[in-house]
Amino acid sequence: MKLSAPQFWRVRENQYKLVITICGDCGKKVVFKRPTCPYCGSGRVEYAESAGVGVVEEFTKVYFKRDSSEDRLPEVVGVVRLGEGVRVVGEIVSIRDSEVREGMEVEAVLRKYVSDDPYGIIYYGIKFKPV
Amino acid sequence: MEVGIRGWGAYIPRFRLSAQEIAALWGYDSRLPKALGIVEKSVAEEDEDSVTMGWYAARVAMRRAGVGGDDIDAVFFGTESKPYAVKPSATIIADALGVKKRKLASDLEFACRAAGEGVRISVGLVKSGLARNALVIGSDTAQANPGDLLDFTASSGAVAFVIGSGSSSAAAIEASVTYVTDTPDFWRRDRSPYPEHAEIFTGEPAYFHHIVSAVRLLLEETGLKVGDFDYAIFHQPNGRFPLQVARSLGIPQEKVAPGLVTPYIGNTYNASALLGLAKVLEEARPGSRILVATFGSGAGSDAFSIVVRDSVLELVKKGPRVVDMVNFKVQVTYGEYSKFRGLLLRNVGG
Ligand SMILES: [Zn+2]
Repeated sequence: MKLSAPQFWRVRENQYKLVITICGDCGKKVVFKRPTCPYCGSGRVEYAESAGVGVVEEFTKVYFKRDSSEDRLPEVVGVVRLGEGVRVVGEIVSIRDSEVREGMEVEAVLRKYVSDDPYGIIYYGIKFKPV
Repeated sequence: MEVGIRGWGAYIPRFRLSAQEIAALWGYDSRLPKALGIVEKSVAEEDEDSVTMGWYAARVAMRRAGVGGDDIDAVFFGTESKPYAVKPSATIIADALGVKKRKLASDLEFACRAAGEGVRISVGLVKSGLARNALVIGSDTAQANPGDLLDFTASSGAVAFVIGSGSSSAAAIEASVTYVTDTPDFWRRDRSPYPEHAEIFTGEPAYFHHIVSAVRLLLEETGLKVGDFDYAIFHQPNGRFPLQVARSLGIPQEKVAPGLVTPYIGNTYNASALLGLAKVLEEARPGSRILVATFGSGAGSDAFSIVVRDSVLELVKKGPRVVDMVNFKVQVTYGEYSKFRGLLLRNVGG
């Protein structure tokens, strides 16, 4: 699989950081920097960076994928409720699979997602590790 | 103007490979780990590299320093395991941390002492007024030829410092000196996956000569005596060399022990001695004077005299401590180590 370097570059702020979009109209918050509020469609939005600390709400184990990072399988993917209240999906790293449980405290870390092997761009992004 | 360490941070991967398992697998004498002074080494996961570990350490260092991305005028990344042969790693970390665009940023390479040189460059920039704060990162996922002696110690970890001026620093860098020569003790050619080393030649003419020379120059320049230092931290290629170099300088072992990390996590290369410094900053009393001497093959050493300030006590609480990261660990087998470090090649993306 080969991603596009310019495509990644354009969205890198959402890859490198946990940015939260806060709606100026309905007041709801959602993860990622978005031009409009997904709840009410308002363009009156503000952005804030998450402190990166949260709790695992749900998780599952992934055994199969085809994105050039299969050398890492199996992996644990979870839904994390950030301290700011929004939920985000992310891989849970630096754990034994048996250690993951609901309510586990985690913090955001920068990790490699995939790379265009063997000589392509490395795509970095946010995952979560236990605190 | 006083220039010092305004904040520091470290990162040690959670997984550990025991030196006994390495010895058993490759047919070494079971007494060898003890002779090398190594119990286990830290192992980074598949999705970790010097950039991701350096990012973590730098983030903590900035938090401790209480600085934001707009306050950082320079970013230096010392490593010998950069993910790209060409393409700066410093810029990836800087962007991911939100460091402003107007800045200096580059990767430094001098085997294990590039980050030490980064600290000296940063002191110069701050002193001259060209930078208010500089971020220096030392990070490595050290490679070793499987089964080579280096396999016992080559490990992964990172450390970072915010160097700046002012009375708010955690520790003042009161003097520093560098001693370098062309000494072929350890190298890795382009496209070679693992480094080569000149066996016993890495000791006397390389490690010992350069560290002792740098420390003597520092003492000469400052008029300090070894007895003036409360702690001594040296580069730690194994658990024994730092104790031996201390002995030859007349420094007692109890001043070296607090800064020793290699016996428990292996040699983290650019993080090695500076990770020892981070650990000592988290334990030392204000007023303590610390001697730090890095070493990089090829070869050279930077010696620093650092005095701990009162604010260190508050800053310790603002991030994870080295000792906690050393202890928060999980054992892996040599098989898992091979998978984590990409020693097994799986066809992917098919
Ligand atoms: Zn809305």
